[in-house]
Amino acid sequence: MNTQKEVLAILDEVLSLRGRAATFGADTPLLGAIPELDSMAVVSVITTLEERFGFAVEDDELDGQTFETVGTLVAFVDRKLQ
Amino acid sequence: MSRTSAFVRQPFFLDSPRGARFAVATQPVGAPIGALLFVPPFAEEMNKSRRTVALAAQTFAELGWVTLQIDLGGSGDSEGDFGEADWDGWQSDLSDGWNWLRERCDGVAILWTLRAGSLLAADWLARNDEQPPLLLWQPVSNGSQHLTQFLRLKAASEMLAATEAKGLTARLRAELGADRIVEVAGYRIAPAIAAGLAAATLRLRDGYRSPVALVEVVGGERTEHSPGIAALAEGLRAARTRVVTEVVQGPSFWQTLEIETPPTLIETSVRTIDQLRR
Repeated sequence: MNTQKEVLAILDEVLSLRGRAATFGADTPLLGAIPELDSMAVVSVITTLEERFGFAVEDDELDGQTFETVGTLVAFVDRKLQ
Repeated sequence: MSRTSAFVRQPFFLDSPRGARFAVATQPVGAPIGALLFVPPFAEEMNKSRRTVALAAQTFAELGWVTLQIDLGGSGDSEGDFGEADWDGWQSDLSDGWNWLRERCDGVAILWTLRAGSLLAADWLARNDEQPPLLLWQPVSNGSQHLTQFLRLKAASEMLAATEAKGLTARLRAELGADRIVEVAGYRIAPAIAAGLAAATLRLRDGYRSPVALVEVVGGERTEHSPGIAALAEGLRAARTRVVTEVVQGPSFWQTLEIETPPTLIETSVRTIDQLRR
């Protein structure tokens, strides 16, 4: 499974980006750079990741850094999948 | 089922000892062939999904089904404040909606849920002597995890503000446990609602008599269920319940930023309720 591809598909879907996420790379900044990513959207992304990948995220695993870039988010998901 | 393009949408208030409950009945022009009681999702997901649910109810009505949507106490346009709502009251609201439908339609009656509506419905089924067919859209299986996901909204806003968000949902749960109201994303969450939600799980009695349809909306090109829904289907089958599963592609309309509707969700559901009727 290609985690980055799945993560980008989820971002595109939840944030209604209409394909814009396909142009994102690992170093694309997320928090503060994508106006659609407000707190409601952050939670929707986490919930969708939990349901799509079948893991549960603990509260203390999350901080602002998790959503800093596409790469940090993908790395977080990869760690959860190990 | 033959299709007409006629239906009647009737908004009204359903009186209850707990206060007036806003409801919308979407009905066929002639006598209904069956009824659906819609059990809404929790908090903001109800608002996000209103349009899709209304469109589906309209299509069902064109095919002869009557649907009742009810705003649970303290939510939507019903009487009361969300912060004063309680889980038992919501259970009674469902009973009132169910009875309203039963008085008007003697065909099959289906419980139709979205997201955490599945938890309310499962609890209602455990308390009442009914085993209707179930149409579960994107069901939530675990109320405690769902509550955590909701409380996380607050943690996310703190995260965005770069303040300390770690452990925040645990602290909010402790507040609720101490019988205090917490405020998350503009919703005042009362301990009585949080406790009911956290204790709820999507479990049906063994050998549940009627079929259960699980309809999951997935993003991208996927055609298989996510792990949670697959496990749910397996558990129900192991308990000797007939399960119908469907995957439709499209946006998760109960949470997307813009109001959207997955293109094939309604058509798939039409086919599904026809199966549930048999």
